[in-house]
Amino acid sequence: MYGKGLKPLSIATVVALAAGLSLVFFYAPNDADQGFIQKIFYLHVPLAMVSLVGFIVGGIFAILHLRSEDSRWDAYSYVSIHISVIFGVAVLITGSIWAKASWGHWWVWDEPTLVSYLIVFLLYATYYPFRYAIEDRQRQARYASVFAITAGAFVPLNFLAVRLAESLVHPRVFATTGGGLPGSMMLTFLVSLTAMALLWVTLVKLELTAKSASGQVKRLRRALDAPPAGPRSRVAPEVS
Amino acid sequence: MSALLLGETPALPLDEAGKYVAGAYVVFMVLLVVYVAIMAIKLQRIERELRDLASFAEQRNNNDEDTSEGASNSGDSHPSEVAAVSFQGGANPPAADAERSTRAEFDV
Repeated sequence: MYGKGLKPLSIATVVALAAGLSLVFFYAPNDADQGFIQKIFYLHVPLAMVSLVGFIVGGIFAILHLRSEDSRWDAYSYVSIHISVIFGVAVLITGSIWAKASWGHWWVWDEPTLVSYLIVFLLYATYYPFRYAIEDRQRQARYASVFAITAGAFVPLNFLAVRLAESLVHPRVFATTGGGLPGSMMLTFLVSLTAMALLWVTLVKLELTAKSASGQVKRLRRALDAPPAGPRSRVAPEVS
Repeated sequence: MSALLLGETPALPLDEAGKYVAGAYVVFMVLLVVYVAIMAIKLQRIERELRDLASFAEQRNNNDEDTSEGASNSGDSHPSEVAAVSFQGGANPPAADAERSTRAEFDV
């Protein structure tokens, strides 16, 4: 039943993405300092925020899994992290493009925001081999949950550490003192953020639906006592 | 509404900046399309497996019916023959069965 509500959610996502893009290119003014390049902000920052929140959500699902021993929570945790890692790839690529356009370099190693995000991304990139290395499904789910909780706790700490670091290189548009976004830019940003959040939820639901369908097929195969179709995935958890 | 939006449209620069902005948004769209393509492949695999299972179940049902008919006629069929159904045996189902399975696939 994971597919329930997927259609209206998908439609809402497409509408929100279209609205976000329209606002970015037809409504939000060009930034006084960066000019047209700043349009990447409406893509890069919402992606980064949603991916970081997604990692934390994955940790929360992992807590629920350890508390209840219900494998569904493990699947939720896995899928949340999976989609957030994909978002993370987009964050790193769009960030690099923005860095090249603004600073003239694809990557700046002494910028805490970039390096800290890369650390978080690489941490979660190890989630897959870590999970894949364990054969027993129950142990795999337990260990992956412990990993997701630990890494999930690291994400806000990492964010705080970056905020405390004093750097003027990376733009601080949500500064507590001075600056900030004007109304039209803030509206555009909020719509883009909503669109990215909806996209994340839709993709998580889609992935869960696919896993559920795959799990049901395997269940049916077992019930019919039919021979297996192919090699079984050791990475992805099954959803029934 | 669209006239209002277009009235507010800043000139789209096609210089260096425009190239980078376009690059960033294209990367995002490409990632999205690749993900959707992967999901489509997964869906196709699930569909194929379901089709295999449906034909397996139909074959088994047909064999069950044949065996019970044979048993009632002659009374000498062995139960192990029922279990000896081969999965994806290669035998084409009769036309009526094929039509029935197509109807079941598309829920018509």
